[in-house]
Amino acid sequence: MPERAPPPLGRRGLVLAGALAAGVLAYSFLDLSLAGLVPRGGQSRILREFLAAALRPALDYEASFVPPGTPSFPRTVLAAVHRTLVFAAAALSVSLPLGLVLGFCASSVWWSDDGGRPRRLAPLAQWSVRLAIAGMRSVHELLWAVVFLAAFGLNTLSAVAAISIPFAGTLAKVFSEMLDEAPRNTAFALRAAGASPLRVFLFGLVPRALPDMAAYTFYRFECAVRSSAVLGFFGYETLGYYLKLSFDNLHYREVWTYLYVLFALVLAFEAWSGALRQRFVA
Amino acid sequence: MTAAERIAELHAARPRSPLVRATALILAGLALYAWLSGEIAVAELWSGRRWDNLRRFLERDATPYPLRADGFSWSGLWEWARPVLVERGLPGAFATLWISVLAIVLAGGLASLAAPLGARTLMAREPYLAGAGGGASRPLFWRAVSGSTRAFLVLLRAIPEYLWAFLLLAMFGASAWPAVLALAIHNAGILGRLGADTIENLDRAPLRALRALGASRRRLVGFAVFPLALGRFLLYFFYRFETCVREATVLGMLGVVSLGYWIQDARARNLYDDMLLLVALGAVLVLLGDLASYAARSWVKKAS
Repeated sequence: MPERAPPPLGRRGLVLAGALAAGVLAYSFLDLSLAGLVPRGGQSRILREFLAAALRPALDYEASFVPPGTPSFPRTVLAAVHRTLVFAAAALSVSLPLGLVLGFCASSVWWSDDGGRPRRLAPLAQWSVRLAIAGMRSVHELLWAVVFLAAFGLNTLSAVAAISIPFAGTLAKVFSEMLDEAPRNTAFALRAAGASPLRVFLFGLVPRALPDMAAYTFYRFECAVRSSAVLGFFGYETLGYYLKLSFDNLHYREVWTYLYVLFALVLAFEAWSGALRQRFVA
Repeated sequence: MTAAERIAELHAARPRSPLVRATALILAGLALYAWLSGEIAVAELWSGRRWDNLRRFLERDATPYPLRADGFSWSGLWEWARPVLVERGLPGAFATLWISVLAIVLAGGLASLAAPLGARTLMAREPYLAGAGGGASRPLFWRAVSGSTRAFLVLLRAIPEYLWAFLLLAMFGASAWPAVLALAIHNAGILGRLGADTIENLDRAPLRALRALGASRRRLVGFAVFPLALGRFLLYFFYRFETCVREATVLGMLGVVSLGYWIQDARARNLYDDMLLLVALGAVLVLLGDLASYAARSWVKKAS
């Protein structure tokens, strides 16, 4: 095959070059040096010990003295997993209905002629819902957690609310986009047959977007599990709480146990969601 | 056949999947169980102490400092807000932005290296030629390459950014690197997988033609696969940039100088009015990031 110049990339090539330039710029603004990537002294010792512990995850507490009455290590791990899943499930059970309602109200098809109810105030209503969604989404769940900690003090309901709010916003945004991009032919047919706008929406449009919406909801559950684990860094006794505790006590083998458990959880969810996606596509 | 019978027949013939049903049931059961398990103190909702906390928080802590004693004055408000925004907020916001830009560029680079290796259609002895390409007919070696690449990518993304940053901070010390690397690693895992899926879903005809002309695997990737997948890949790239900005804000709470550092700082000093102002600034930053990403994505989409 003769040598040839690669095909011109045009606009996308420009974006690629721009992104690279932005990366170089960011590197210089952040005052970084490649030497910072080489751990020194105590840091390299931590790194060595931490990596060495990877192959020997703890099955029991590493501390030589464990106060009597402490639950066994596997039991502590299971309790942490249990709590992590419970927070995630509770949060999603709040954010899913909220996300559905807000997502419907934020979609154009709900307000447009061929799906919903044409009203004079429609654009105003739609955009105020979109603004609310953007506000919920733009504050990270850990920041909501920090604000709620300040407002209410440490309590599990706040943890659930902290995850629910941004997740409801994200679900609503994605749902509204999926509804707007769903094929409309069923809706047109139903409308031509004389169905009411609400029925056209519920039975003509929503079912066409439903597989995507369901798959995305499941993916968000996986995200909620991760967020719930990280909330442990703020005092809620999920996986992150025990992981941080073990790391701060230099019990690296325990840290690896928690990491492996988290891997296993995420892996199981990915396999599950992969199987679901195949079922939906087929 | 009456219409009602026809409807009943269609209803009976609708596609059903036991897996989907089981998933829905399990998730509904889990949600119900979560509320009944006792792990979540629902009774707190009626606890007077919590609402007293809230009242005190709103009346005292959360109210901007100049508005607490005297009445409202715009100049007093600005006097208070200016140093918070100018001395902490803006430098923090810029650091957040640069951290997320560098992280997503690194993630994109790593992901574009990993994506072809994870694509099952490319990782075959004769990609696009022999049979349908993928599936069970692939030799063990090529299956191992794509399989191990994909497993590696799962490991990268299974650990949340915050956890990566926490671990890296202990090993690389306090610079922006732990935050940058944490975001880059997690997002490389996500972008790599999406990239590999994109490559697998490419139209095979032009690739098969090129391969039949004798193009090497590397040429195939460089001259055909990469240009064909680039549009899609850039869309994902900018989607993930949005989340990078969100996460970079928060990573500062671990001690890296991004906006989160100053939020944590205000929190530690019980300056909750400052804290809320900085959280609001973070929200504005995230919205700007979303807008930039939206603009970039529609610019990319217009390119053919």
